[in-house]
Amino acid sequence: MTGIAGVGAYVPRLFLPAEAYREAWDKGGAAGVERVAVADADEDTLTMGTEAGRRALSAADIDAGAVSHLAFATTTPPADEEEAVVRLASLLGVPANATMQQYGGGTRAGAVALAAARDATGPTVVVVADNPAGAPESDQAAGAGAGSAALVLTDDGPLTVDAVGEYSDPSPGTRFRRRGSTETESIGITQYERDAYTSTVGGAVDALDADISDVDAAALTAPDGKLPYRAARTLGVSTATIASGTVVSKTGDTGAAGPFLGLASALDDGAESVLLVGYGGGAGATALSLSAASDVPVDAVFDGDVELSYAEALRRRGTITGEEPEGGGAYVSVPTWAQTIPQRHRLVAGRCRDCGALSFPPEGACFECGFLDGYDETRLPGTGTVEAATVIGQGGAPPEFVEQQQRSGAFPVAVVALDGPDGDASDDSVSIPAQVAHTPAETPDIGDRVEAVPRRIYEQEGVVRYGFKVVPTEARR
Amino acid sequence: MMRSFPPVSGRTYIAGDTQATIMRDAYIVGAGQSSYGAFPDESYRSLFATAFEEALDSAGGIAPGDVDEAVIGSLGVGGRQLGLSGPAVTEHVGLHGVPSSRIENACAASGYAVRQAVQAVKSGMTDVALAGGYEVMTDMSGDVAKYWLGVSGETEWERLTGTTFSGVYAQMASAYIDEYDASPDHFSKVAVKNHANGAKNPKAHLGFECSLEDAQNAPVVADPLNLYHCCPTSDGAATVIVASEDVASTCDEAVRVAGVGAASERVGLFQRDSYTSIRSSEQAASQAYEMAGLGPDDIDFAEVHDCFAIAELLAYEDLGFCERGEAPRLLDEGITDLDGDLPVNPSGGLKSKGHPIGATGAGQVVEAFKQLTGHADDRQISDANVGLTHNVGGSGGAAVVHVLEGGVL
Repeated sequence: MTGIAGVGAYVPRLFLPAEAYREAWDKGGAAGVERVAVADADEDTLTMGTEAGRRALSAADIDAGAVSHLAFATTTPPADEEEAVVRLASLLGVPANATMQQYGGGTRAGAVALAAARDATGPTVVVVADNPAGAPESDQAAGAGAGSAALVLTDDGPLTVDAVGEYSDPSPGTRFRRRGSTETESIGITQYERDAYTSTVGGAVDALDADISDVDAAALTAPDGKLPYRAARTLGVSTATIASGTVVSKTGDTGAAGPFLGLASALDDGAESVLLVGYGGGAGATALSLSAASDVPVDAVFDGDVELSYAEALRRRGTITGEEPEGGGAYVSVPTWAQTIPQRHRLVAGRCRDCGALSFPPEGACFECGFLDGYDETRLPGTGTVEAATVIGQGGAPPEFVEQQQRSGAFPVAVVALDGPDGDASDDSVSIPAQVAHTPAETPDIGDRVEAVPRRIYEQEGVVRYGFKVVPTEARR
Repeated sequence: MMRSFPPVSGRTYIAGDTQATIMRDAYIVGAGQSSYGAFPDESYRSLFATAFEEALDSAGGIAPGDVDEAVIGSLGVGGRQLGLSGPAVTEHVGLHGVPSSRIENACAASGYAVRQAVQAVKSGMTDVALAGGYEVMTDMSGDVAKYWLGVSGETEWERLTGTTFSGVYAQMASAYIDEYDASPDHFSKVAVKNHANGAKNPKAHLGFECSLEDAQNAPVVADPLNLYHCCPTSDGAATVIVASEDVASTCDEAVRVAGVGAASERVGLFQRDSYTSIRSSEQAASQAYEMAGLGPDDIDFAEVHDCFAIAELLAYEDLGFCERGEAPRLLDEGITDLDGDLPVNPSGGLKSKGHPIGATGAGQVVEAFKQLTGHADDRQISDANVGLTHNVGGSGGAAVVHVLEGGVL
């Protein structure tokens, strides 16, 4: 029977304490939220989903090349229309002929994707990521977090989905986003919204037709830090059970990813049975009961370690910054960029057919022997050593990076000797330039070890260019 | 101690006097430049005309109608006349019908233009060639300028880490400080020296003196480089008239082009074998010395490409003025000061005189011509017989070196 063989989770390292919002607006903010995770300017649901997906594959010890089905669930894809799942597959290394499906439309999306994945054959990856936003003064903005989780399902994965229950009932206005808007809203009628949540979640659990009173943890979609607890009595579980599957107080509202981060956290704490309920405004819910035959490997980071001020958080989110200036000069076309996607997404280097030296990108004459004999592709592990470095201050960046600087400030850049396929810092390396995605922006020391991470590089003509940056290994969580 | 150069493989020059038996000599017979600075009332054409007129005045004996070839360097910042940049300026100054072409090699554009003019004369196809360059960089908003300042870096990878040249040279500086006994104070000493020289040059963009404290305490641009370790962006033009020996012998002044060298390097820093030297500079110097039958010991002064202060330190070593890692000592001991044993950048260099990209290489030759003909006024170096100019494109993707000899005709 298909089961979950590995779980990954990723929460950005930047966070905003709830107190900072309260001070800025002189009002309460989001109920039950102590702090919210903030995606950096170069992070979005695709990069966060890649982080979680890579961790899940690593935890499950499954090669991405063997994956036959990939599902991506998010209410906040990088573009309203475009199959983000395709670039997620490329970033993860999932083959082009795998089945790919993208789920959205509400914060239930992840649970729907997992319910569907039960029927998939072959190694399956379900990635759930969200990065909701709200109008700056709203409770939604006060509670908006960011995060992602991923599950790898295999034929013999230890954590099985034992039952699925669904329930829907029209409750318009409970959680919605207008067409073309980036801001999630609700109508703001407290009791109406609570009732919609409780009755829909309760209905889905009823439809499970399973006894869930003894589960170790209940992981529910958490629009704020209180609603999951309000459902405890209806579900017949204790608030302690809810707490075991709820991370919203530390991450904020992570939309569709919320119950999956809760699941990852519960499994990380040793839970053997979990109730997962995805709830989407409107309103509908999908409940899944899961039980583990043995320990489920989890590779997760839940806690941020860089605190932001309220103004810094607004900058990082792009709430108060401008866009790339108009101009001319240097330009990399989308097709030109697309030619380098294997390098930018998966660090595909080349080994010279004449002398065996590594080349990145693998094109043109070999820098070692000078011959044009071509290259055999080889994938680099992404670890490396700093060879030269500086920090680019405000005003010193090319225009493609003006918006990023407005949002995230100065950034370090380095020349990095990337390790060869064997992953050690031996002579088999190839040098590449890379931005260092690190706060604070300090110049790395020559000799520092770094690791590649997926990031947005820049956006031009409405098209986000994804690639890699590096982070100091010592700061890698 | 000067560095010794290995033999240049792949091409052979016959040194000194016997060279003329293969290719005839070329001479600089006139050179002039506009002021460098920010000139909202000037155009690239008017700046070029100013430089051309000064070159003609200095040439004494050359008339515009004598020019039979023109090579013009420009990066094309702002895109103002990206196509037909050569004819646009040569027709403007009345060189009607003269074949004129633009050469683009980033900041080494007009250094290469001079080299091309020298080749034209030495080959025998041309008796009088005009080489020059121009750039207008200050007439656009900071946002628009950003698009142009990074166009010569490696675009697809290096630029898209978010670097422009200050960042790339800062990375070289970080590697240099890591490898050798150097500190940012040495970069500040380059600024102090070059500003002291530029203050004596009425055509300098930033013609003021600065103290070591000023240079040390300037705002950081890209660690470890601060504002005083970076050259300005400037408007300006420079022109050089290159002629055959027959023509030169009829002119008031003539400086012999004793050696020319040029080389390319991989455009991106990350693609190179060394981050603490510029191989193209080293190769260009080696060729120029060999062609001239001279070595670094024979150089009386040099105009080197100090776009960032670290670049001047690298130039000392790449050009053989000292061993690797010894550039800081040259600065500490004042050897490259105007009154030192080997003055470097008597004009003020890119740092103080300014850096109108396409004009810079030709402008260096203008300064060398003035020094070698005794017309450098307050900054005149006594007994200057052999000068060297060193012009680098980008972070080293192109380099060109000229060794020029005065008092020979």
